[in-house]
Amino acid sequence: MLLIFFLFALIIGKVFYIQVFSYEKLNNYATGLWSRNLPIEANRGKIYDRNGVVLADNVTTTSLVLIPNQIEDKEKTAELIAPILGISYEDMYAHVSKKTSIERVHPEGRRLDYETADKISDLELPGVYLLKESKRYYPYGEMLAHTLGFVGIDNQGLSGLELMYDEYLTGSYGAIKYFSDAKGNKLELSEIYEQPQDGIDIYLTIDYNIQIALERELDNVISKYNPDQALGIVMDPKTGEVLAIASRPSFDPSNYEDYSTETINRNLPIWMTYEPGSTFKIITLATALEENLVDLEEEHFYDGGAVTVGGATIHCWKHGGHGDQTFLQVVENSCNPGFVDLGLRIGKETLFNYIDNFGFGEVTGIDLNGEASGIIFDIDKIGDLELATTSFGQGVSVTPIQQVTAVSAAINGGTLYTPYIVKSLNEPETNSIIVNNEPKVVRKVISENTSAKVRYALESVVANGTGRNAYIANYRVGGKTGTAQKVQDGKYLVGNYITSFMGFLPADDPEVVVYVAIDNAKGVTQYGGTIAAPIAKNVLNAAISALEIEERYDGMTKEYNYGDKRYYTLPNVVGMDTKEAVTNLKPFKVEFSGSGSKVIYQSPSTNSYMQEGEVVRLMLGGD
Amino acid sequence: MKKIDWTLLISVIIISIFGVLMIYSASYIWAEYKYGDALKYVKNQGLFFIVGIILMIIISKIDYKIYLKKSNLILLTCLILLVLVLIPGIGTVRNGSRSWFGIGSFGIQPSEFTKLGLIIFVSKYLACNEKATKNFKGILPVLGLLVLVFGLIMLQPDFGTGTIIVMSIVGLLFVGGVNFKYFIRLGIVGVIGIVGLILAAPYRLSRILSFLNPWSDPLGSGFQIIQSLYAIGPGGLFGFGIGNSRQKHFFLPEPQTDFIFSIISEELGFLGCVIVVGLFITICYTGFKISKNCNDRFGKYLSFGIIFQIAFQACLNLMVVVGLIPVTGVTLPFLSYGGSSLLITLCSIGIVLNVSRFQR
Repeated sequence: MLLIFFLFALIIGKVFYIQVFSYEKLNNYATGLWSRNLPIEANRGKIYDRNGVVLADNVTTTSLVLIPNQIEDKEKTAELIAPILGISYEDMYAHVSKKTSIERVHPEGRRLDYETADKISDLELPGVYLLKESKRYYPYGEMLAHTLGFVGIDNQGLSGLELMYDEYLTGSYGAIKYFSDAKGNKLELSEIYEQPQDGIDIYLTIDYNIQIALERELDNVISKYNPDQALGIVMDPKTGEVLAIASRPSFDPSNYEDYSTETINRNLPIWMTYEPGSTFKIITLATALEENLVDLEEEHFYDGGAVTVGGATIHCWKHGGHGDQTFLQVVENSCNPGFVDLGLRIGKETLFNYIDNFGFGEVTGIDLNGEASGIIFDIDKIGDLELATTSFGQGVSVTPIQQVTAVSAAINGGTLYTPYIVKSLNEPETNSIIVNNEPKVVRKVISENTSAKVRYALESVVANGTGRNAYIANYRVGGKTGTAQKVQDGKYLVGNYITSFMGFLPADDPEVVVYVAIDNAKGVTQYGGTIAAPIAKNVLNAAISALEIEERYDGMTKEYNYGDKRYYTLPNVVGMDTKEAVTNLKPFKVEFSGSGSKVIYQSPSTNSYMQEGEVVRLMLGGD
Repeated sequence: MKKIDWTLLISVIIISIFGVLMIYSASYIWAEYKYGDALKYVKNQGLFFIVGIILMIIISKIDYKIYLKKSNLILLTCLILLVLVLIPGIGTVRNGSRSWFGIGSFGIQPSEFTKLGLIIFVSKYLACNEKATKNFKGILPVLGLLVLVFGLIMLQPDFGTGTIIVMSIVGLLFVGGVNFKYFIRLGIVGVIGIVGLILAAPYRLSRILSFLNPWSDPLGSGFQIIQSLYAIGPGGLFGFGIGNSRQKHFFLPEPQTDFIFSIISEELGFLGCVIVVGLFITICYTGFKISKNCNDRFGKYLSFGIIFQIAFQACLNLMVVVGLIPVTGVTLPFLSYGGSSLLITLCSIGIVLNVSRFQR
C-alpha cells in the first residue's frame, strides 16, 4: 500500500520535474517540432548620400513558396502553375511533390511581377503561397556603380560596398510561424509573425549633386572624344571625404551579368596606376617650397627648350622652350626643365622622402575594395635622370586617389588625410548612428605657410597659365594640368596620353578638389588643359552650388589672351537711373524688370567678376 | 448491510467521465483521419462507460460471496477463453498481439477478464487455506497457476497484462500472510534471471536503459517517450487548455490509449496531473480502507486484489508515460481508450462497492 502511494508520489515528482526543470528544453524542441517557418526577407539596408538621397533602395517583389504537404491535388497544381511561370509540367510537378517542408521554385518563381503574382493568387490553391520579398533597386542606374557594387538574386552583396558591408546591410530574416501537425498540415492555431530586422543603412560622404555632375561630364567626354577610359574624383581636401567618384566604362548594377568582369571590377579611380604627368609637379613644388629652395616671385629660370641630365636630353613640352621666366611662371607654364631644376635642387633623398610622406607608393586606405598602391623608384636605383623625370611626373606610377589625397594635403595647410567614403552606419528604425567615421589624419607633410604658397601658385596657373580653361570668375580656382604618356612594355606610346586636371577652389581656403583623367581621347590635341580642365570646371561649378560655396572678390583676374572673352568687375549701379546704369554696364547684357526709372536692385551683386556678354538683371522702381 | 462507500463511487464516476472527455479530446484528430468520424472512439467508449456504470451499480448490489462459490467456474472459463483467443480464426490480431475476440468494431480481451478471475480465485484460495499458505508448499498451486496464466498471455503476447497479473497476485499473496522470505527468494531468482539475460546479450541493457535517454534513438525505441515528453513538458502549470493539445496532431501515435496521460498533461498542465493522480490516490485509499475494514477474509483479499491491481496498473502506465520505466504497453485504468478494459474495471469496482457494505 505504501509502495503504491510512493510510486504515485514519484510520478507526480517526475511530472513536476519535466514541466519545471526540463520545460525550456522540451518546449524549444517541441515548438521546433510543431512550428513551421515561412521566412520573410528583411529589407536590405539602404545606401544614402551625405544629404539623405537614396542611392541604393529596395522594391518589394513577390516570390512563390510551396508547402508540398498542404498541396492536395499535385497534378492539378503543377498543371495550373507551370504555364504561368513558363516552365514544364514535369519540373513543376517535381517541385510540388518534393519531400520538404518549404519549396521554392528557383529562379522562375522568384521576383515575380505583379501580373504573374496576381494570376497565381487568383488560383487560390492550397499550399501555394506568395511571399513578399525585397529586391535591390538602384534608382540612378549606372551612377556610382563601381562604388555601390551590386547584389545577387538572394540579395547577397557581390561587389563594392554591397559586398564590403554585406554583414551590416543584410539584416535578419523574419518569419511567419505557424503550427503544423506531423503530416505538415497547417493547424488552426494562431500564427506568429516575426518582424524581419531590416539591415543597417549606410550614409556616404558622396554628394549626389556633385556625383551626378561628374557622371554627366564623364558621359559627355565619352561621347565627344571616345576615350578608352575616364575617371574622376571629387574630395573635400580638409577631411578626406570623397564627394564624388566615377569610372568609365561603367555598368548597370541591376544587370551586372551583361558586363565583362574587367568593367565591373575595375574601379579606376582607386585601381588604375599610371604615370601622372604634370599634376605630379604639385608635389615637387610643395617640396621645394617647404625646403626653402626656391623663391617663386624673385627667382628666374631660363628655359632653352631642353636640359641634359645624366647623359639624356629632356625636352620641354613647348618646342623651343619658354625662355626667361620667374619660377611662378615655370609653374604656370608647366615647364619641364624648370621642374627638373627644382628636382635637382631638392635631391633624391629629400624628394622621395616627401613623395613617401605624401602617401605615394602605398594604398591610401580608402574604405573601398581593390585599391592599388602604385610603384615608386627604389631609392638605391635612382640616378639624376630618374630624379629629373620624377620631378615632372614621369617614371612614377600612382593611382588617382593617391594624387587627390596628396594634393589635398598640399593645399589644405599640409595635412594628409585618409580618404573615406562611408560617413556613418545608421540603425534604420531610429536612424541612430552605430558607426561614425571621422576624418583621419595620417601625418603633417608641409607647413601651412608652404601650403598657402602652393595654393597661390596653382591659382596663378588657372588665372594665367595652362589651367585657364578651368577659370571660374569669383571663385578663385587653383589647379594643374597633366598630360602623361602611357607606357606599354617599357616604351612610351606615341599619340596616346592620359590627360588630366587637378583643380580646387576657393584658393584661399579650399573646400573642394576635383581630379579628372581621360585616357586616350581621340580626335583632339591631347592636352590636359584642353580636355580635362573644362570638365573639371563644370564639376567645380556643380560643387559650388551643391556646397553653397561663397563668392570671393579678391582673387586673381584672368590674364587676357587674344580671342578670350574679357572679364570685368561689376560696378554698383543701384541708385542710378536706367541710362546711367546701361552706360556703366557696357560690356554686359542688361535685362530689366519692374517699372520705374531708378535701379533698386542688381544681380549679380557689386564686385562680381563677370565675363563680357553675360547677363546682368536690374530691378527698377521708385521715381 | 451498510450503505456503499460514496467516496469510492463518486471518485470512480468522476474519473470515468473525465476519461471519456479526454478520449474525445485526444482521439478526434486520429478518428477523423482514420474513419472520417471524429466521434468514433468517444462513441464506443461512451457506450461502454454507460453499460459499465449500470453493471457497476448492479454488481454493487450482488452479494460478493457468490464469487466465492463460482470461483472455480470463473477461472476455468477464463482459461478456456485464453486458450481460444490464441487460435487463429477465433482470436484476432491487433497491434501485433492475438489478444482479442472481435465482434464488429468492438473487441474483447479475455486477459482483462482473467485479471479479475484470477484475483477471485486466489482470494478464495487464501481465505480457505489460511494455514497452508504459511509455508511454501501451500502457495505452490497458486504459483503454478500463475505461471500457466502468464505463459498463456505471453503467447499472445501481452507482456504488460502479464506483468500486472503476476504483480497483483504477488501483492495479494503478500497481504495474505505468505512468508516474506519466499518473495525474497523469488526476487533473487528473478534478478539472477534478468542478469543472465543481459549477460547473454548485452544489447538488452542498452535497450532497457534507452528510456533514460530516449534521444539516443529518437525514431526507434525513444520515439514514443520523446513524443510523450514533448506533450508533458510544454504543458506547464495549467496546460494549453482542453482541446488544445498539439501532440495529438499525429505526433503521438494513438494518443487516446497508453499515452492519454501525456495529452492530459499537455492540455491541463501540472494541475491536471495532480487531479488525475489525486483521484487515483483517493480510489486506492478508500479501496484499501474497505479491504482493511472488511470482516470477511475473502472480501478483504478480493477488494485488496482488485484495488491493488488497478493502482499497480495505473502506476506502471504513468511511470512509462513520464519516462521512469521503459515502454511496456499498459493502459491507464478509467482513462485510456478500451471498452472491455473499462467494463471490467467498473465491474471490479462494483464488487469492491459491494464489499464496502460489509464493513465493521
